[in-house]
Amino acid sequence: MAGLEENGPEPTTSCADPRGDPFLHTRFAIPARPATFLRRERLVRHLDQALRTPLTVVSGAAGAGKTLLAADWAAREDRSVAWLTNDAAAQGCGMFWAYFLQALSASGVSPPAEVGSPADASRVDQTLLTRLAAGLSDRDRPVIVVLDEYDRVTAPEIAEQLEFVLHHAGRGMRLILVTRTEPLLPLHRYRAVGDMTEIRAAELAFTPEEATALLELHGLRVPVSAARSLVERTRGWAAGLRLCALAAQESPDPETYLKEFEVDRTTVADFLLAEVLKRQTPEAQDLLLRVSVLDRFGPELANALTGRTDAESVLAGLHRENAFVEYLGHDRYRLHPLFGEILHAHLRMRSPGLEPDLHRRAATWLRDSGSLAETLGHGAAAGDWEFTAGALVDDLAIGQLFTGLRSDHLAELFSGMGPEATSPATDLVRAARELARSNLDHGLAHLRHAERSLAEEDRTPAGESPPGLAAARLSHALLEALAGRLTGSPARAETAAETAAELQQEVPAQLLDAHPELAALLSTHLGSTRLWAGSYEDARAALSTAVACSEGASTALPREESLGHLALIYYLNGWPGKAERKALAAVSETERFSLREESGSGIELLVLAAVAVDRNELDRAQAFLDAAADSHHAMRDPVMRAGRALATARLLLARGETHAALEAAEPAVSADVASPWSEAHKALAASAVHLAEGRPETAAELLQGVPGDQPTCVVGAARAQLAAGRPTEALGLLDRVRPEGGTGAERRTGPAVTVRASLVRAEAADRAGDSATARRLVAHALHEARRERLRRPFLEAGPWIRPLLGMAPLRGLAEGWLTPGPPPCAAPRAHPGDQPPPPVVEELSGREHDVLERLAQMMSTEEIAADLYVSVNTVKTHLKSVYRKLSVNRRHDAVHRARELRLL
Amino acid sequence: MRYEIRVDGHMSETLTSAFPELDHVMMSGHTVLYGSVIDEAHLYGLLARCRSLGLRVLEMRQLPE
Repeated sequence: MAGLEENGPEPTTSCADPRGDPFLHTRFAIPARPATFLRRERLVRHLDQALRTPLTVVSGAAGAGKTLLAADWAAREDRSVAWLTNDAAAQGCGMFWAYFLQALSASGVSPPAEVGSPADASRVDQTLLTRLAAGLSDRDRPVIVVLDEYDRVTAPEIAEQLEFVLHHAGRGMRLILVTRTEPLLPLHRYRAVGDMTEIRAAELAFTPEEATALLELHGLRVPVSAARSLVERTRGWAAGLRLCALAAQESPDPETYLKEFEVDRTTVADFLLAEVLKRQTPEAQDLLLRVSVLDRFGPELANALTGRTDAESVLAGLHRENAFVEYLGHDRYRLHPLFGEILHAHLRMRSPGLEPDLHRRAATWLRDSGSLAETLGHGAAAGDWEFTAGALVDDLAIGQLFTGLRSDHLAELFSGMGPEATSPATDLVRAARELARSNLDHGLAHLRHAERSLAEEDRTPAGESPPGLAAARLSHALLEALAGRLTGSPARAETAAETAAELQQEVPAQLLDAHPELAALLSTHLGSTRLWAGSYEDARAALSTAVACSEGASTALPREESLGHLALIYYLNGWPGKAERKALAAVSETERFSLREESGSGIELLVLAAVAVDRNELDRAQAFLDAAADSHHAMRDPVMRAGRALATARLLLARGETHAALEAAEPAVSADVASPWSEAHKALAASAVHLAEGRPETAAELLQGVPGDQPTCVVGAARAQLAAGRPTEALGLLDRVRPEGGTGAERRTGPAVTVRASLVRAEAADRAGDSATARRLVAHALHEARRERLRRPFLEAGPWIRPLLGMAPLRGLAEGWLTPGPPPCAAPRAHPGDQPPPPVVEELSGREHDVLERLAQMMSTEEIAADLYVSVNTVKTHLKSVYRKLSVNRRHDAVHRARELRLL
Repeated sequence: MRYEIRVDGHMSETLTSAFPELDHVMMSGHTVLYGSVIDEAHLYGLLARCRSLGLRVLEMRQLPE
């Protein structure tokens, strides 16, 4: 794996964070030092040790001078430093790592592309961290990463992940945490082996000499004795000293003022802030209080909150004085974190009730300047839901309620919306939230509301429709398509897709470009609905469109779902190998973007389970089914339910649990139209149960009238007819699925169908006494099945095939994958380094040996029971003790091991 | 759960208003904030609030009901 390369700082303007926001550049910028900054060499020298220890922690109270120390050090360092200022608003480990990776890029250390990036705010895949650590450990020079305001990172799992990356990056990374609180990393371990540099509050505190120097920078000359008492009063607190200097500067007699401060008993920050605040001009005071509702701001936004135009000069003045505001570069400021809180308290005190108004003003301004995330945050804080929902819908961002890093955050944001807010946009948001949770009835009701109010707006006079109407109608079409998918209604989804196609011409192109998830979701919903209705080719077209959408966090979910659906189409057409490859592509998409398994429908896992059944890997199938069972709530569409019923029933049938299979075959689906493949497979499973229980007539009856476009079922019907003693009918049915008769350029039906068809023909020939034809057909089937490892059809075929498989040409074809291979005949072991297998401690009993022999012939438990004239349970008991004696826990391993030990 | 939090210095009215859920009393250079605390999350939230307001916490203890 390639190490992380240094490319020089690259422009990051085109990058978007996983929430789809342009990254906030100011979070990657090393904060500027104010003119009055005092460099303290003793601290710089201590911090230099950070280059030699993996971990450095700079901890102290707000305003202790941590950030400025680290920033000054980082800026002086000639090597590149990746800087990340953490943010309380960007919680969740997915978000944290996305920003972490971006901070590396911003400093010119690009992680290799295969590292990927999280697409889910609350999740990061362990493999991503492993790839990142591996990339870092390959570096010759360590990358220095400073995480400022690390105390805002509260999730314990982030500390664990950080520790993991730090540990495995080895000498490739030097981590510096700047924090108010003790980080959750195992500091004692690092401390014990001298792998940590620590600068704590006591060391950060100003000495009287340093305080004198600081006051001098502010133009105040005080004797060291006065400085000493000042340091005592403030306990060397940097922010306190600075404020003190500011207040004293303004005072006619600074020294007396400092004396007064010494004896005052008010809390230091409170006192000093009030003092310094009241010395500001009324305009500056007003501005400071109002911007306390913001995280970061430029002069224009500040103007929007004050209603004046003087913010630029006021902010520049405050920054020059180093009072309250910090300059972040890019024309952005923020309040010093300590004073922000106190100013906020002052605002509430002085102007109660002003806060919502300020949030609303901020939201309005931000909406015009194009920052959606912040707009929504302030809109919600103002409680103005019509506005907030309108901003989301106008921006065409409604898809983000379903996919991307932001979906949880948005869902939470809108959870505060009450029923009193009424507008088309609020109805759309409500419908989207309900549908996202598969709350179908509520979702559809809200969707109808939205449709009505949209129709009303459409009729507004003079043909002048409101500007956002096209976006709202497009959002509505997207939800309609989803509604069509969830209700199994192809007509509804098709209409919605057509409407959406028209509307996409009406909305600004840059909005569509900014939200690729909209088109991807639309195609996925359409494709899924078409698949339900059995239009495989049309479904494939729509799903392929979704898969071809631009890759990224926001489209990861629809792409994964579409790949899963494409896998199902392959499976239904009898192509297990292709189905498996598509499904695995879907799974790797999940891993690359750290998606939660439950975020999608998990259809690819169901396909993998069904493929495993066809290969007679039943434990594997069960494991996939169990994994898919975890995918709760989201996207419980009929396709997923039917897919689950299909895979479960087939697994149970393979295990001989006929009764349970019959129950499982019935999917709990309520859909507008019936699905041909779902119905057919339901009938097929029921028919197989009857066949297994010796009722071929009933089995044949069940499959009568099965449509010809469900080849798997036609073959099943033929098998039942044959079992009922009607070979002519059986062969007549099979002629309908001749692979040569396929219409498309690609042969439609795959080996899973044709192999079964060949076996039914072979059985018919065998019954007719034409063993040459039977052998030829079985050979043909073996040829086809071998590459796909399709074992199930041969196991299902019945006892007639066993003697055939033992004959010369066929035995060779079946050996190694279907039947046991040739004995290893004292060949040296393939891996000489392997651990010798544990010795057999107990001899197998005669009966156990019998069972083991039959196991090696790939007989099922039921077949063994029948063959030995014992019950299934008895066989299971024997199997268990065989496993125990051979120290294995799977059939396959038991046979393998028995062969190694020459027991067979 | 009832708690009291003793903070160094006298808090101004503005600062005490940042703790609307608690009562307060000033004594000998300290401010004591007291009242009922819903759960641990609330408790840690109060501590964080003290920290973000630059208050020095001298003591925090649970009071008998």
